[in-house]
Amino acid sequence: MKFSYNWLQLFFQKKLPNPEKLADLLMMHTLEVEDLIKKSDDWILDIDVLPDRMPDCSSHIGIAREISAILGYKFKAPEYKFSEEKKIKTADILKIEIKSKDLCQRYCARIIDNVKVAPSPKWLKQKIESCGVQSINNIVDAANYIMLETGQPLHAFDYEKLFGKKEKKEIIVRKAKRGEKITTLEDKKYTLDKDNLVIADAKYPIAIAGIKGGKKAEIKKNTKRIILESANFNGVSIYRTSKKLKLQTDASMRFSANIDPNLAREAIDKVAGLIKEIAGGDIKSGVLDFYPKKTFPNIIKIDLNYLRSLLGIKISKDKVVKIFKDLGFEIQRESEAVLILKIPTFRRDICIPEDLIEEVGRIFGYENIPSTFSILQKALPPKNLDLLWVKKIRTLMKGLGFTETYNYSFISDNEGDFFKKLNKKLKLTELGNPISSNTKYLRFSLICNLLKAVTLNQKRFKDVRFFEIGNIFKEKEKRFFAGIIAGKTEFYELKGLLESFFEELGMVDVFYGHTKEKNIFWEKGKSAEIETGNKKIGFLGEVSKKILGFYNIKIPVFAFEINFKTLLDLIEGEHEYKKPSVYPETIRDISVVVPENVLAGEIIQKIYSTGGEIIRNVEVFDIYQEDINQKEKNKSLSFHIIYQSEKKTLSSKEVDKVQKNIIKNLEKNPQWKVRQ
Amino acid sequence: MDLKKQIKSEIEKALSLKELEQLRIKYLAKKGKINQLFKEIGSLSQAERKKKGQEINKLKEETEKFFKEKKVQIEKKISFKEDRFIDISLPGKKLQRGHIHPLSQVLEKCEDIFERMGFSVVEGPEIENECYNFDALNFPKDHPARDIQDTLWLKEKRRLMRTHTSPVQVRYMEKNNPPLRIVVPGRVFRNEATDVSHEVQFYQLEGLMIEKETSVVDFRAVIQNFFNEFFGRKVDVRMRPGFFPFTEPSFEIDIRGENGKWLECAGAGMVHPNVLKNAKLNPKDWQGFAFGFGIDRLSMIKYNIDDIRLFYSSDIRFLNQF
Repeated sequence: MKFSYNWLQLFFQKKLPNPEKLADLLMMHTLEVEDLIKKSDDWILDIDVLPDRMPDCSSHIGIAREISAILGYKFKAPEYKFSEEKKIKTADILKIEIKSKDLCQRYCARIIDNVKVAPSPKWLKQKIESCGVQSINNIVDAANYIMLETGQPLHAFDYEKLFGKKEKKEIIVRKAKRGEKITTLEDKKYTLDKDNLVIADAKYPIAIAGIKGGKKAEIKKNTKRIILESANFNGVSIYRTSKKLKLQTDASMRFSANIDPNLAREAIDKVAGLIKEIAGGDIKSGVLDFYPKKTFPNIIKIDLNYLRSLLGIKISKDKVVKIFKDLGFEIQRESEAVLILKIPTFRRDICIPEDLIEEVGRIFGYENIPSTFSILQKALPPKNLDLLWVKKIRTLMKGLGFTETYNYSFISDNEGDFFKKLNKKLKLTELGNPISSNTKYLRFSLICNLLKAVTLNQKRFKDVRFFEIGNIFKEKEKRFFAGIIAGKTEFYELKGLLESFFEELGMVDVFYGHTKEKNIFWEKGKSAEIETGNKKIGFLGEVSKKILGFYNIKIPVFAFEINFKTLLDLIEGEHEYKKPSVYPETIRDISVVVPENVLAGEIIQKIYSTGGEIIRNVEVFDIYQEDINQKEKNKSLSFHIIYQSEKKTLSSKEVDKVQKNIIKNLEKNPQWKVRQ
Repeated sequence: MDLKKQIKSEIEKALSLKELEQLRIKYLAKKGKINQLFKEIGSLSQAERKKKGQEINKLKEETEKFFKEKKVQIEKKISFKEDRFIDISLPGKKLQRGHIHPLSQVLEKCEDIFERMGFSVVEGPEIENECYNFDALNFPKDHPARDIQDTLWLKEKRRLMRTHTSPVQVRYMEKNNPPLRIVVPGRVFRNEATDVSHEVQFYQLEGLMIEKETSVVDFRAVIQNFFNEFFGRKVDVRMRPGFFPFTEPSFEIDIRGENGKWLECAGAGMVHPNVLKNAKLNPKDWQGFAFGFGIDRLSMIKYNIDDIRLFYSSDIRFLNQF
């Protein structure tokens, strides 16, 4: 919000500090001055007025009041004296009816006759333009001027343009009827609804209350009799209407923050006086002032010991009292430790003792609050186990050559449609107000965006290895861990990396099995379920060509995805250390011919379970694909079976016996044949 | 036999171990030519078989000898080449290095610093409901205060992508009795157009400390200590008035960068009594402060990065620098 330095100076007899210093003071005690621009002989301060200070700081008087409290300078708001015409009363020619009393707490109206609508005097034009408000004519400009000065939005209507009896027009403040239309001063048409407040004449709306005036009763060059409106509207209603119609104005901004209803009366007199000065005219006697439910000052009790304890400073009662007085708060009662204050209604943000403590803190200056470490050092808290493992996993993956990435939590509508076609049961969480079609759904897997990462990098890098730990969104939000390798690589490379990974985590029984459920990412037959302790923790596989095509990826991609929580539940804290045996080992080789789709893992399992404790290791050393022209496709797998006992040296006989058992068990399956 | 001559000449011609191996398979493997010869003599008479068999065995032995000799010859040549000279200035065979994301590194560092000050690290969900994200934190309904954080809503009613990590404070206070000290790192979301300093998602770290008695002075100490440890030097920190619905008084925290300019870095304040009440705590018994800062922003200051979007770009050229 823009404020003029010269205008602020008008409120003070004493010379204000230079604009930079003033901006600095305001920033350190009140609000941030985002920009300071020189404009001919004036300086414009662009102040970021936050929602809690909008009611009082959206005006030059409000900022001047702040400056007065910070510097201790006396300030005086300008006065606008005028005299009323005694012959006709406002009440004789205008009737106000407030139908929506809960949405309009106060409505003041005045009438000025015989005004000369013309361009504004230079000083007025300059003042409002420096604050970013366009000059229209002297009536409208005067209303805007007083708004910028006091914070009270004002409006003027052309009396003659109102529909109704010639001698006594009426203004009705009511909710719009559904479908009621209005054309605003900017020639824009709006269709209104039942929860939009309007200012209306006997028939039609003449303004969207508190937001924008209608073209119908616009002040034009030939306007002679004007109605001045100075009112107070319910903030929530104005906020909602403004959002719904996508129409935000200087007026709506202020009303949305619930301004002080006691401003309305002052402001209407000020604007009347100003208009008479620059446009002439006769002010009809009396103000129509509808204000049944008055707003009274808050009375707040503040305990000074609590104040000192919250701020952590030993501030004297005198200092505190001075700060409150400089801010315009009245001390009703005071004792050694307690003050009772009456808060003027222009400070709508002061409601509880903590609000008063903030006033003292900021005027005193936060820079004057020290930072000595008076809290005792506590015992170190328990570590967050989840994050400890996240950290460990990151380090492991880095060691295995993976680059960690952070992708977006969203996928596009195209991706959503594509994956829903691949899996009709896929349910996606949709955003209600996405920024673009790129962020329509929440990601159901980390792999989608990891694939996008491959698309991006494939041109410049021939090998890509990424991992990500992040939340995915299916029926529930879950933390997952996924990775991909792409380029000159193969399935077994990824599997090898995962095997190293699990070993490092001390997980010894990780089993890779056929994927039982339909998983949409993988090339048929080229994926595995990762299981441990009888629980499925994730998948790995080759990403299907169809998906690579969708993402425009020209190199092979292998990926894995693991449920982080399930993984954590199964990680053993430490390696199980197995003492090496002092007794010699014996190696026996064995070859088995099996159908093509039999997994090596199955055979190995059988060997282990038959041989028991004395089998230390089983390793595959050869895979031989039989003649491809044969009808039944078979393959021959050769294993080293390493026998070793922890208790003694095994005799040939003992080993032979077990070996025979193994062969027997393997051949229990009619399709399997052992070769010697 | 002609076969012997043929074998010898082919072996002589072999230049590499690979070629030699192929020849070995051709002649000496199970299905090789020499074994074929054994099969062929099966139809002869016993005497003939014995004679031929001996011949073939001799051929086999000689062939094996040729192979051995040639292998040694080739290996000598290779080692000779290798023994002579190596160019030590050529790059070594590098193992592919992995990288941890800069935001991870900064988050871990921040968590460490706060843990040493006695703060526990706590996490919460990314999808929140309106109640925890706004209402419990004292944001008035239908009020411009909610506009400060443009919200991404789910299609489902009243559910949203959390706009800050503050809701976790309320969740934690509901389940844990004070005194307490926690920091909450996490991803947050805003309905904002992206540009060099704005993203639809970014990371925050919130802190909360509730005690019987604790003040702005304690807060200043915590935040000063944090920045000093994070940047590894004494950092100029300044505090000025701000506004958050969930704290009163509220502050904005700036730090002075290396170029001398003040940078807005964090928001903070004393926890608003309504927030304590909403978390079922009695404001008469407990008071405390809360603070929050953007991890992305902090990382950009630390690493001199000028575009927040780089953090989510998955661009290897960027990530490989960390």
